[in-house]
Parts: sequence; C-alpha cells; structure tokens
Amino acid sequence: MSVNPMAYEAQFFGFTPQTCMLRVYIAFQDYLFEMMLVVESVILKKLDGFPACKISPFQIRKSTEKFLLFMKEHFDKLFSKMEEVLLQLVLNIPKNVLLPEDKVHEQYPYSKEQFQALQDEIHQLQKQYRAEASAGQALRAELEEQKAVRAELEKILQWFDGLENICREHGTCSFKESFAFLTQNAKKLQDVLKDVEEKSKKIKKHDRLL
Amino acid sequence: AGGDGGPPAPAAPGRAQVFATVVDTFLEKLVAAGSYQRFANCYRCFYKLQPEMTRSIYDQFISQLQTSIKEEIQEVKNEGNLEVLFNSLDKIVEEAKNQEEPAWRPSGIPEEDVRSAMVPYLLKHRSYLRKVLKEKEEENRKVAESVLAGRDRIAELQQLIQARKHAWQ
Repeated sequence: MSVNPMAYEAQFFGFTPQTCMLRVYIAFQDYLFEMMLVVESVILKKLDGFPACKISPFQIRKSTEKFLLFMKEHFDKLFSKMEEVLLQLVLNIPKNVLLPEDKVHEQYPYSKEQFQALQDEIHQLQKQYRAEASAGQALRAELEEQKAVRAELEKILQWFDGLENICREHGTCSFKESFAFLTQNAKKLQDVLKDVEEKSKKIKKHDRLL
Repeated sequence: AGGDGGPPAPAAPGRAQVFATVVDTFLEKLVAAGSYQRFANCYRCFYKLQPEMTRSIYDQFISQLQTSIKEEIQEVKNEGNLEVLFNSLDKIVEEAKNQEEPAWRPSGIPEEDVRSAMVPYLLKHRSYLRKVLKEKEEENRKVAESVLAGRDRIAELQQLIQARKHAWQ
C-alpha cells in the first residue's frame, strides 16, 4: 500500500495534510490526558476532606485509568473517522484540478523537442539579426566613403568648370584649342627631338666606322 | 413547500463548512461516549460518597475538554490561514468542474517542469526578435538603395570628368 504524499496539497496549503492531522491528534490527546489528571487530583483533594472514607488513592488511580482507557478507545476511533473525511474532502485537491499558479503547464505543454526547437529558432533569429546589423554597418560605411569620393570628384568638376569660365570671361574660346594645340605641338616637338637624337647617334656611329 | 423552480439548489457545503461540521461531530460523539453514566460508573466509590461533587467535576471536565479542543482547532485555522485557503480552493475546484481529464502534476524533475514556465518568455522573445529583424532588414534595404544610387552618381561624375579631360587635350 503506497502512501500518498499529498505533495500537491502541501504546495497549496503550505503544510502536508497528514502532518496537520498528526499535530491535531497529539494536541487533543494531550488535553484529554491533562484533563484526566486534573480530575484525578481534584478528586484526591476532595477525599482529603473525608478522612473517614475508605477510598484509597490507588482506587482512584484505577478508576481514572479505566475511564481514560475507555475514552482513548473512542477518541482514537472518532479521530480516525474525522481524519479520513478531512483528508478526502477538505484537505485535498481533486485530480482534475490544476492550481492557478501552474496554469503555464496547461497552456504550454512543450515536450523536450518542441522546447529545443523553440530555442534553436531563437538562436537562428539572433544570428540573422547580428548578420543584418553588420551588413547595415558596412553599407553605412560605404555611404560615408561615397560622400568623400563624391566631394572630391565634384571638386575636380568644379575646377574644370572654373577653367571654362575663365576662357569665357577672357573671350578666348579658342583657349581650349590653343591649349590643345600647345600640348599637341609639345608632343610633336618631343617626337622630333627623339628623331634628331637617334639620327645624330647614327651619324656619330658612321663617323667612327669610317 | 413548493417552488416554482425559483432559487437554485444550495451549493454543496464548502470546505470550511465541512471542516467545522466534522469537528463538531467529533466532539459531540466523544462527549456522548464519555457520558456521565460512564464517568460515575468508573468512579463509583467516589460517586457514592459525593454524587453532586462527581457531577460537578464531570461537567467541568467535559466543558474544559471541549474548550481546549475548540481552541486548538481555531489556532490551527489561524496559523494556516485555513478559512481563506478553503474558500479559495472551493473556487478553484468549482472552476475546474468541467475538466474531466486529470490535471498536470509536478513531475518531481525540476528541469522538465521549468520548461513550460519558460515558454511564455521564449515566445515573447521570439516575436520580439522577428520584429526587430524585419525592421533591420527594411532599414538595410533602404540604405542599400542609397548605396547603389551613390555608386551610379559617382560613375556619372567620373564620366563627366573624363569628358572634360578629353575636351582639353
């Protein structure tokens, strides 16, 4: 016969029902014994006032024991019945009842696998978020770089536009052409110089050979 | 007594009521068992000597016993806050009256039981993560658009500069 530990009831009441019953039983029993002792001592005292009577304290003690034994038997029987009723009807939680504090177990009965899956999903989301966050940082870094580059390029463009304006102001729209002509001529000159150099080298060679 | 189907039948007595009744019954029956006849019978010699005294002593004994027992019960009720707990439990049981299946009970293994307690928090966390992830993705999409546009612009500028350069050669 297994003993029901009534652990769920203990969770609710803050004490084990059986312990409570035991405490009450011991207390009641103590009172019963106490009262009987008081009765006995009162009777004995009264007897002192009757020195002539032949009743000995021993007899009184016997009487007390008799009555107490009788009371104890009934007491145990009655208490046992009371305890049974209290443990079944009052200090118990029916099997179909869930305490409000345990509601989550009814709402979210997750198995080990389901729980693990949920945790995995969360880790996955965290990884994705971190990836997105660093991607965002990289994008913003490029945006900053672009700003700098754009500024430089725009400066160069402005410089060109500045040149153009100067030409226009001084009415030399062919300044561009003359500039272009100059650079071309400079190049031609360089080519001619190279030619001359090579020719003179050849001549010097010839002279030596001759 | 005839009803027109008026007020509903009184509800079954609550735990507090049952408790009180059971204790009273116990006392009643105990007192009945420890009757005066029984008492006087046990203390026959004294009873023969002093019948009135016997009666008086018995009455006091019974009265004192009942008082002590009732006080003890009251103390137990006060210490355990039983009135409140009984009423509360009655309500909880009433609310569960349509539940036929046995309810959950602690498994005794904390690791198992704590899972369900954590689930609501994990679910909240998951939905939060989903939300911020979506926001971040949206944000990045917009920034990526700007970056692409920026690259186009830079390419454009580079082309313009090349054109100018050629014009000046």
